[in-house]
Amino acid sequence: MAIASGGGHWVQLLRLRPAYIDSNVFFVSLDPTSASDVPDHRYYVISEASRKQKLQFIRVILQLLRILWKERPDVIITTGSAPALMALGLGKKLFRCKTIWIDSIANAERLSTSGSQAGRVADVWLTQWEHLADDEKGPHYWGAVL
Amino acid sequence: MIFVTIGTMFPFDRLIQTMDAWAKDHPEQQVKCQIGTGSYIPEHMEYVRKYSQAEFSETVRTADLVVSHAGMGSVITAGRFGVPIVMIPRIKSKGEHTTDHQVATANWLRKKPGVFIADHHAELGGMVDYALINGEKGNELFTQYADSAFTDRLRDAILK
Repeated sequence: MAIASGGGHWVQLLRLRPAYIDSNVFFVSLDPTSASDVPDHRYYVISEASRKQKLQFIRVILQLLRILWKERPDVIITTGSAPALMALGLGKKLFRCKTIWIDSIANAERLSTSGSQAGRVADVWLTQWEHLADDEKGPHYWGAVL
Repeated sequence: MIFVTIGTMFPFDRLIQTMDAWAKDHPEQQVKCQIGTGSYIPEHMEYVRKYSQAEFSETVRTADLVVSHAGMGSVITAGRFGVPIVMIPRIKSKGEHTTDHQVATANWLRKKPGVFIADHHAELGGMVDYALINGEKGNELFTQYADSAFTDRLRDAILK
């Protein structure tokens, strides 16, 4: 399962395609029209989630649970942001997925809020900036999308 | 054609307003823009609220210059098609984003060829004029995918 919010997160996820494209991947994002970027794959839309809007938050959880229940992915890979962190948490705790968080390259000075929290649920926890990496505690640096 | 875009998330009226004034002074230029949920309605540019992903890519591809916020979606798409880009960062204190990470993005991108940074909207028009003269279309800044050393390592982690 490859999941990302719209805009830059999505574009970065697509730049990592060679990593997962031959693994029977399906995609999850926010913009229905992004389906045209991945025409040969299953594509699911979820809503925007922010921590402030409780109802919306619950709605996204239900959407994610439905997708996870149906697809039973082995691995979840994401480039952010908040809704993807929820997917990682649910996938890890309830479906025993292997989870991979790659913090957006836009976070050049510090990790995103979601990115910092992702350390708790990500089996592979990465930043795209070497100077933000911590070899012992993570996040780690393996490279960048650019 | 010049394509002005503010990305997908928050409004960025400061950019749209500045470019609308620029377009008024440059009637010879065709300017299209994506204004999102902004409340300022441009008078001198063609506008849409939001293009579909395919329309967005096509509009970037056919543009001579992209003018945008300092967002990764904009610069990666423009760089992929070799279209020069002028970027202006969103500022947290002006309510344009939740953090000032776009200032950091602008700072590391300004060294890239084909990327022109206006730190302030007062510099934007001049930077657009400069980029129209000095930006060369057709120099692809990025290949289609991330470096294979990175994607191979991710692939190994996925398959392990």
